[in-house]
Amino acid sequence: MGQRLEALSGQALAILFALILGAVVIVAVGENPVRVLVTLLNGAFGSPERIAGTLLQATPILVCGVAACISLRAGLFNIGIEGQLFMGGFAAAWVGFSFSLPPVIHLLAAMAFAVFAGVAWIALPAFFRTRYNANEVVSTILGNYVAVLVTSYLTINIFKRPGGLPETPPILPTAYLPEFFSFSRLNWGLFIGIALAIGAQFVFQRTARGYAISEMGANAKFAEYGGIDIRRQGFLILLASGAVGGLAGGIEALGVHRRFMEGFAPGFGFDGVIAALLANGSPIGTIATALFFGALRSGSLLLEVDTTASREIITVIQALIILAVSAQIKLRRGASDSMAGERRWKF
Amino acid sequence: MEVLGRFFNVFLIAATLRTTAPILLVGLGGSFTTKAGIFNIGLEGQMLVGAFFAVVGTIFSGSPWIGVLCGVSAATALALAFALLVVTFEANEIVVGLALNILASGVTISLLKGIFGTRGSIFGHGLVGLPIVHLPYAREFGWFGQVVSGFTPLVYVAFLLVPVLNTFYRRTRLGLHLRVVGEKPEAAEALGISIVKIRYIASLLCGVLAGLAGAHLSLGYTTMFTENMSSGRGFMAVAILIFSNGDPLKILLGCLLFGFSDALSLRLQTSGVSSYLVLSLPYLVALAVLFALSYQARPRLIRETAATMARAVTFQSKTAADDLAASKG
Repeated sequence: MGQRLEALSGQALAILFALILGAVVIVAVGENPVRVLVTLLNGAFGSPERIAGTLLQATPILVCGVAACISLRAGLFNIGIEGQLFMGGFAAAWVGFSFSLPPVIHLLAAMAFAVFAGVAWIALPAFFRTRYNANEVVSTILGNYVAVLVTSYLTINIFKRPGGLPETPPILPTAYLPEFFSFSRLNWGLFIGIALAIGAQFVFQRTARGYAISEMGANAKFAEYGGIDIRRQGFLILLASGAVGGLAGGIEALGVHRRFMEGFAPGFGFDGVIAALLANGSPIGTIATALFFGALRSGSLLLEVDTTASREIITVIQALIILAVSAQIKLRRGASDSMAGERRWKF
Repeated sequence: MEVLGRFFNVFLIAATLRTTAPILLVGLGGSFTTKAGIFNIGLEGQMLVGAFFAVVGTIFSGSPWIGVLCGVSAATALALAFALLVVTFEANEIVVGLALNILASGVTISLLKGIFGTRGSIFGHGLVGLPIVHLPYAREFGWFGQVVSGFTPLVYVAFLLVPVLNTFYRRTRLGLHLRVVGEKPEAAEALGISIVKIRYIASLLCGVLAGLAGAHLSLGYTTMFTENMSSGRGFMAVAILIFSNGDPLKILLGCLLFGFSDALSLRLQTSGVSSYLVLSLPYLVALAVLFALSYQARPRLIRETAATMARAVTFQSKTAADDLAASKG
């Protein structure tokens, strides 16, 4: 208990340090840090609509974060969640506007296509990583650029809606992911995300397969000697991670935008990765960090209206927090002699 | 007709050299960290702050050379942060690299708005690019002269650095120390080389070249700064570094391939093919090469393991540590 408290206080100190550095950056761009903070809080929690907005922003970050947790658990880095999100979003939208199906079946079909698109997008990097050791960090990052360009091509050159905007036709109402309130697009995606996080946590902690995955992440050699087929398992883990990434795109397309357009969901995939890192790869912890990042994002919308600072100031704060915590991991290693949590970062 | 065909080729070669230079500079920068055994995914961000501060420095001083200095300083500062976290605090290099990339993107966009009050891109404001170098006697060498003359200075710096670094890694003490630290850290410790010091030096040298690459991007390649203008070149450089193992000549080959696909994609854009598909060409080439060479490397890995075992038996190993011993003895 004492160790955990020590680790937590260290984490808090690191975040405080990051926030101070963030304040310095805010001063450097000619704004008042207190005013920025108040605006962020107001934008994130100032009214029921804004709280719903925060949860709405947190949803894709949470789903992408779970996708990242899955690969991190096995010691693999899927940084291509952004690309899987774009492919999944486009696939879901395509099913949504191209076919006419009965209500629930249409929604499920669109979701299934989103998942399939995510899996398809990570299949090659996963295959070459686990079979021939091609670095998955680089291949999935490069895949992001291709995914954004390919979906833009499909949207604008092939499926563009008549009219000026660079977007596809809207999806049919039968494929809508239902929303909760009349005043917000907040939808069932939030519960899908929470359910995925709890499910992933359960699999990791309570099942033999989950133990094998954690073992592989902690020490791949050891896991191999223990009789785990780490190639096959690594391949499947990356596919699962890609599937969840594609689902995140489906939720965005069917629940929020109801179409696919250029610049669809920018940066949620990266936010998901850093939310998972901040939670140290724990799916349940990712619920908290995704809410935090969702609040930052939601608050940043008001930032551009009420202050002269740009909304990218929040990505600066996010990055500083990750950097501060990344140093913290080492300090925590000194505090406890258990290496299991730390070894996951080395591979 | 024949003349026209040749001109087409000459211009394509010149365009290739032009597009190769930025990625070559950042790739050569990454060779320092690769040789020293650090996986540096933060090249992208270092290049981006280099590009941004080169523009800021030029606008405030009026001299592009002071701008280059500002860009290099900013990139080196980011490299110092990388080294501090990765070497001193032993944080995971992928986590730190990614976070620094996100930081670079956020800081440059925020400062762009904070300083100039605009979003997107900045040009004008008295921004001047680096001067174009006309090599003397270039005209006397016909088409070859046309190809190699008329670039901004950092293009020449990029290509000249290839032989310089090649010699650096083979012949100089620091170059050998870098390789020993990367290949056999235990041997480095036994030889009394400070691993921490060498890795700091490698990270900072990497920052200098990544900053030059960024400055070239915003003052030589174009004369403007655009949000996220490094557009994945740093990541492509990392892909090249993985299969070149940091060897300058192999880096040059890889970068020429990407420079060519970049130049080709720029040319294809004017020919009516969808620009979205054409723009994805360099990334697809990078992916294809990464996959193809990882497939290639598999049998070699086994061969090399066998060779290493054979060497261990016959005591005739030929590693950087031995090169170093030979140079001392």
